Amino acid sequence: MEKDLRSILKCVRCGTCRSVCPVFEEAGWESASSRGRMLIALGIHNGLEVDENVLNSLNMCTTCGLCEQMCPSGASPVQVVQDTRRKLMLKGRMTDAQLVLRDETTSKGNPLGETQYRHSWLGDIADIKKHAPYVFFVGCLGSYRYPELTRRTFDLLKKFDVTLIPEEVCCGSPLLRTGSDPDSLVSKNMEQIKKIGAHTIITGCAGCYTTLKNDYPGDLKVIHVSEFLAERLPEMDLKHLDLKVTYHDPCHLGRCNGVFDAPRKIITSICELKEMKSHHEQSRCCGAGGGVLKGYPDLSMALSKKRLEEIPEGVDYLVTSCPLCRTNLQRGGPKVEVIDILDLLKMAMK
Amino acid sequence: MLNVDLIEKMGNIVGTENISVASCELYCYSSDASQIRGMPEVVIKPRTTAQVSDIVRLAYEHNIPVTARGAGTGLSGGCVPLEGGIVLDMSGMNRIVEFDLDNLQVIVEPGIVQEKLNKALEPYGFFFPPDPGSSAMCTIGGLIANNGSGMRSVKYGTTRSYVLGLEIVMADGKIIKTGSKTMKTVAGYSLTDLFVGSEGTLGIITQAIIKVRALPKERSVIFASFKTPELAGKAVVKVLSSGIVPSACEILDSNIIRALNNYDPKLNLPQAGAILLFEVDGSEAEVKEGINLIVKACEDLASAIRTASDKKERDEIWAARRLAGAAISRLDPVRTRVYVGEDVGVPIKEIPKMLHKVDEISKEFDLPIMTYGHIGDGNLHTGMCIDMLSDEDWMKLNAAADKIHRTAIELGGTVTAEHGVGSARSEYMRLELGSALDVMITIKKALDPKGILNPGKMGV
Ligand SMILES: Cc1cc2nc3c(=O)[nH]c(=O)nc-3n(C[C@H](O)[C@H](O)[C@H](O)COP(=O)(O)OP(=O)(O)OC[C@H]3O[C@@H](n4cnc5c(N)ncnc54)[C@H](O)[C@@H]3O)c2cc1C
Ligand code: SF4
Ligand code: SF4
Repeated sequence: MEKDLRSILKCVRCGTCRSVCPVFEEAGWESASSRGRMLIALGIHNGLEVDENVLNSLNMCTTCGLCEQMCPSGASPVQVVQDTRRKLMLKGRMTDAQLVLRDETTSKGNPLGETQYRHSWLGDIADIKKHAPYVFFVGCLGSYRYPELTRRTFDLLKKFDVTLIPEEVCCGSPLLRTGSDPDSLVSKNMEQIKKIGAHTIITGCAGCYTTLKNDYPGDLKVIHVSEFLAERLPEMDLKHLDLKVTYHDPCHLGRCNGVFDAPRKIITSICELKEMKSHHEQSRCCGAGGGVLKGYPDLSMALSKKRLEEIPEGVDYLVTSCPLCRTNLQRGGPKVEVIDILDLLKMAMK
Repeated sequence: MLNVDLIEKMGNIVGTENISVASCELYCYSSDASQIRGMPEVVIKPRTTAQVSDIVRLAYEHNIPVTARGAGTGLSGGCVPLEGGIVLDMSGMNRIVEFDLDNLQVIVEPGIVQEKLNKALEPYGFFFPPDPGSSAMCTIGGLIANNGSGMRSVKYGTTRSYVLGLEIVMADGKIIKTGSKTMKTVAGYSLTDLFVGSEGTLGIITQAIIKVRALPKERSVIFASFKTPELAGKAVVKVLSSGIVPSACEILDSNIIRALNNYDPKLNLPQAGAILLFEVDGSEAEVKEGINLIVKACEDLASAIRTASDKKERDEIWAARRLAGAAISRLDPVRTRVYVGEDVGVPIKEIPKMLHKVDEISKEFDLPIMTYGHIGDGNLHTGMCIDMLSDEDWMKLNAAADKIHRTAIELGGTVTAEHGVGSARSEYMRLELGSALDVMITIKKALDPKGILNPGKMGV
């Protein structure tokens, strides 16, 4: 309790975050800014009535972390938002979207409402080795929305002694971000990872990446597929492409975990890279994270459009390295096609 | 007071999407960056001068308090509605109405953020010089209302020097224009000057004619390290009396240095007792001469002097310096920076004495006080961090702040050099202003007879 309060009290209300929060930029009301959410968290502690507006304020945050990156006083607004969502959930205070996400994900093992076998994309089940040093954590979007990309990625990875989790379930990210309990999913994945004996988990999704790395027990080594492959470029015999592309840093991969170089290394070994208007630590959010795509699709779309305005002139593709970012950026109606970094890699393979 | 009927009328004026009575929204508008609190009854986001006028007229008819708000980064409770009523969130009126650069001016709405204005001016080779630490977030309206300034005020002066004219909605809803587009005018009392620094107590600013300056060709930054803040204070007096006018002259004490290195480890500032940051701008020759003069003036007092290597290093140090005040919260996980007693100003000659007194106060109350600020114009920020959950810390903090304020006044200084009086410092107005405060009260009564504009502020 005191720890939570201290964390809220770290905020000096300087408003630095207000000037960068993309959600505030859209909505214009204090309650939609990071500072507003910090205040509301304090308000709840002091007895502020929890109504629909409170829930909306807290749940409109994409957890992009830009506020935290810029916060001079070292406050952790994202953690405060997530903790407050959780606290309210435990008291039965939640939005419909939070409820649906929780129930779907815990009952079906994915937040998409899918019921078929997760690895249906896989041609030959025999490719799932019982023991291996590396595990490819596919993720829900990879499994159900981008099966073709996932198949190709795994075809590439399996040459390097990589296996899959046979009964993989959602990593738990959508639950953690929106205040629900991910424990049953975490244990199910963990048990299998232990059985496989892997020392490293590879994933192609920024949400899975940050969750596996920061919210799973023990110290799993987690790397993004771009990091894994960036180390193996010489073995892949790539051709140079006469293309110019730009790159969207997924918040939960870049800013929150510092993975900036590997995707760029892959891109620049294939073609020319022209950065978006904001990039690396300052990169704008695609607008999908933190349950916002599910709960506030219009807001999420507006955020996506803003990000797309940052595409530089004269590029052929917008490359990203997270299926959720890709999905939302595609929704925003981009002027160039949005592709995954593995798609670019495929184009360059002889 | 406010009732459903009135709220509906207000909604009709600004559109229902621009008005809120949601309790969490009101809560978010109940504070700025100071410790002052006050709950509004309604928050309104006007889009036009006509809307502001209609709302204020309605408020006037019904005796409802109206408090203007920019970005709420103020450090004096200026935008906090002490007596409830309406908060007018002006941040949505943020257009640049006219670029008139041949006349060295722009016309802006008050909600535009300082940095956004400067970004828009940069391609044309111009800038609006007052640069507070909060430039990335504070509005021009807030700066005008507080007569804010910043690191470059030692050379370029305060916001006041850049306001040629204003459009104001008066307490009864009437719209007036003050000043003109000319570089000078003596037609009538300088009402523009009256409204600059009036903290929303005399009228609501809805437009401003802002003078801009050509961007200097060159800038250079010098870091001078000293064993103690007092030695640094002496160096400042020496530099300024040597005839050079630096475009910035900032002091950072050892705790602030530690906080900044923590915020941005790339900075790698030397861990001295105090650092002075000087900036010189102008033509290449002027900058060269300025640097030489500063180095000469500091030589005997400083333990080390060096110049920033390039624009990148310069930009980084200024970006970090801007947020130094908040960054000191990082030094201790259980302590938070509290902006109280943080903005005194003293005559330049008294700077070393003030620094010495601050040190004594720090010892007396056993409370670390970190000093930084625009020392070149005598403005010192005294940063105190406390355990927000300790009553004893709060008591020490308030007592130390009170002593700092009184000391500044005793030295012929002021309790607020740039952050404004608001309600945080209104109790010192009589002491500092004497019977001049009565004149302020008379003006306030004449312009706002019902006392609806930002009541409870500035001691009026
Ligand atoms: C980290 C940090 C650093 C800072 N550094 C500096 C600094 O270096 N120099 C400095 O001067 N200040 C500094 N400040 C204080 C603050 O940013 C300034 O006082 C700023 O001018 C406030 O602008 P705002 O838009 O946030 O106004 P608010 O805080 O919203 O309001 C300030 C006052 O202006 C009035 N007001 C706002 N808009 C209008 C309007 N349209 N018409 C009439 N009245 C209006 C309000 O009623 C209130 O009295 C700093 C603050 C922070 C948090
Ligand atoms: S930047 Fe940090 S300290 Fe400033 S208002 Fe935001 S959360 Fe609070
Ligand atoms: S995490 Fe992103 S969306 Fe959420 S408050 Fe911070 S800046 Fe805004």
